[in-house]
Amino acid sequence: MKKLMSTSLVAFLAAGFTANADSINILVEGGGEMLQKAVAEKFTEETGIEVNFTVVPYQGVFDKLSAEIASGSSSFDIATIDVVWNANFADHVEDLSDLFTDNVKADLPAALLADATVDGRMIGMPTWANAEIVFYRKDLWEDADNQAAFKTEYGYDLAPPATWQQWRDMAKFFTKDGMYGTSVNGLNSEEWMAHVLQAGSPGVIVDDAGNVILDNDAHVEALEFYRAPLCEDQSVPDNALEIGWGEAQNLFYQGQTAMMKFWAHAHKLTPEDSTVAGKVGVAPMLAGSAGIGGIPGPWYNVIPSTAENKEAAAKFVAYAFANNAMGIEAPLGLAAANSAYESYMGQAGYEHFGPLLDTLGGPATKGRPIHKDYQELVDEAVMPAFQAAMECEDNVAELLAEAAEVAADILD
Amino acid sequence: MTDVYQRDIGKVMINAFALLLVLSYALPYVYLLMTSLKPAADVQQIPPRFFPETISLENFNTVLGTATLPKAFLNSLVVAILTTVLSLVLAVPAAYVATQYRRPITVLFLLFALITRMVPAVSLGVPLFQLLKTLGLLDTTTGLVLAHTSTAVPLALLLMAAFFEGIPKELEDAARMDGCTRFQAFAKIILPVMKSGIAITALFSFITSWNEFLYALLLTSESAKTAPIVIAEYNSVYGLAWGPMTASAILYSLPVIIVTLVLQKQIIGGLTFGAVKG
Repeated sequence: MKKLMSTSLVAFLAAGFTANADSINILVEGGGEMLQKAVAEKFTEETGIEVNFTVVPYQGVFDKLSAEIASGSSSFDIATIDVVWNANFADHVEDLSDLFTDNVKADLPAALLADATVDGRMIGMPTWANAEIVFYRKDLWEDADNQAAFKTEYGYDLAPPATWQQWRDMAKFFTKDGMYGTSVNGLNSEEWMAHVLQAGSPGVIVDDAGNVILDNDAHVEALEFYRAPLCEDQSVPDNALEIGWGEAQNLFYQGQTAMMKFWAHAHKLTPEDSTVAGKVGVAPMLAGSAGIGGIPGPWYNVIPSTAENKEAAAKFVAYAFANNAMGIEAPLGLAAANSAYESYMGQAGYEHFGPLLDTLGGPATKGRPIHKDYQELVDEAVMPAFQAAMECEDNVAELLAEAAEVAADILD
Repeated sequence: MTDVYQRDIGKVMINAFALLLVLSYALPYVYLLMTSLKPAADVQQIPPRFFPETISLENFNTVLGTATLPKAFLNSLVVAILTTVLSLVLAVPAAYVATQYRRPITVLFLLFALITRMVPAVSLGVPLFQLLKTLGLLDTTTGLVLAHTSTAVPLALLLMAAFFEGIPKELEDAARMDGCTRFQAFAKIILPVMKSGIAITALFSFITSWNEFLYALLLTSESAKTAPIVIAEYNSVYGLAWGPMTASAILYSLPVIIVTLVLQKQIIGGLTFGAVKG
């Protein structure tokens, strides 16, 4: 907590902005308002500057900010944007490098800092970050009969899965009595991307130099592993192409799967009337040959170049990071600073913060490409190959080789 | 006897086909209703269940328990009603003149109205934003009504023009011979005859505004935010809250259903207007 306060103070003072505005307007997605509401109230109390939130649907943040920037004037002094839009807005937002003091940098996972940097400019301050971690049924894992049977069958102790092999073994082991070991998400590719990093790839889809690496060994190896429970082990429901995050979550909550990989915040939101309430354990994302690796899902506070109250906005951005832990009491319960998460460690209900920090700071953790064409790359190159792989028929290497060609065409 | 029997069989088959057609249209809506009545844990079951095991109103309580949605509903209602009224006030006389006093310029006028329907709404988003910002009308009901009217008027104009085509010019002439001014003839003779057409045009204008999303997203923030935006907010980056979203959608569809039922007679009249000519 002390570290948090000192970091906060330094960041706030280092901002060194003077702000004369009476109010600032923030464009944000639904959940994001809740995460920043408490800090906004405290900010108003201390500075007298009112903070008004404009809440829009997820895609609305992109559409509305794009339209405002295109019009040359903005009603918003700050926008809280998803990391996947950083590249799109980089040329239209202020450089916040001054807010990234050494203390601020030291308090953030490296992957979040990297995602904030576009063409050498720090374009946004992380406001909260999430990552997929492992959720499992504690009651099943702690059951003495299961432990004995698992040890007999696989030759090692039953513990939360930490490696690819353990994941497959445990998924197979718990596929019994009408339950599946886990599920395969065939509607989203991010989970597979995390495995790509765990396999030692220098990035996903493209490397830092912009070269397409979609068909490198790590991508192939990770996709083989990702579809193995579906295509080889039969330890998951066979309708992978109908399963997205929501469906995977519900299968787990309804007791139909023994474990899942899911965004960490969900641990706090386990429905009380679900079959698994009070029985959910969490562990860091799996490790491959490169160690633990995850795809971070951070959101950034950016100041549009067209904003009217830039100084007050910068003051709020610094203040919000300095008091980042205040968002944890919101329903989503997320923050970005290490110190914010650490300040809640050990408290009941926040068991997921340890695995989340381990994942965000994992040696193989890295953000998705900060590229304007990222979404097109995913939609046009990645998803067709990824979903074809879920049919369990085609050769993964060949599918990814074709996808790499499509990706290269998009980037050309 | 055989003829009667065959006629009955024919009727049964037509009715069965009509029922099937109605069911195919109604099914998604009924599923929406069923989902809204499921408790949170049952909303997304795998495999999915059509009917709720237990009926729960928790989703309705959730959405009505916040100030956001009722306020957005009210905004939607005000904007849709004002848009409808404004569209009719502008479109009805314009369509009458364009069809009854046909000149090359009135043909061009109707053609222009048709062309505006072909312009993608998204391309007008930024210009409208700039315009309303300049006028100080961003995030106001007035601003959104003007934006919605810009899309509703061409539609209303084309619809009304089609209805006015079925009115004989002699009707106005007769009224004029009886001493009416041109405006009196229009207001007292023509408009009452056009009741069905106006009802159907009003309904379409209302629905156009009621369901509109893009302009509401771009041109409002908090004060004038309409319900489609608030309903879409249930789809967040971390998933879709099916329960509250379906409950909101059910509530949001009620006014349109009620208006349609109330205006049922006029709508059917409007749809068949001019279908039988002597």
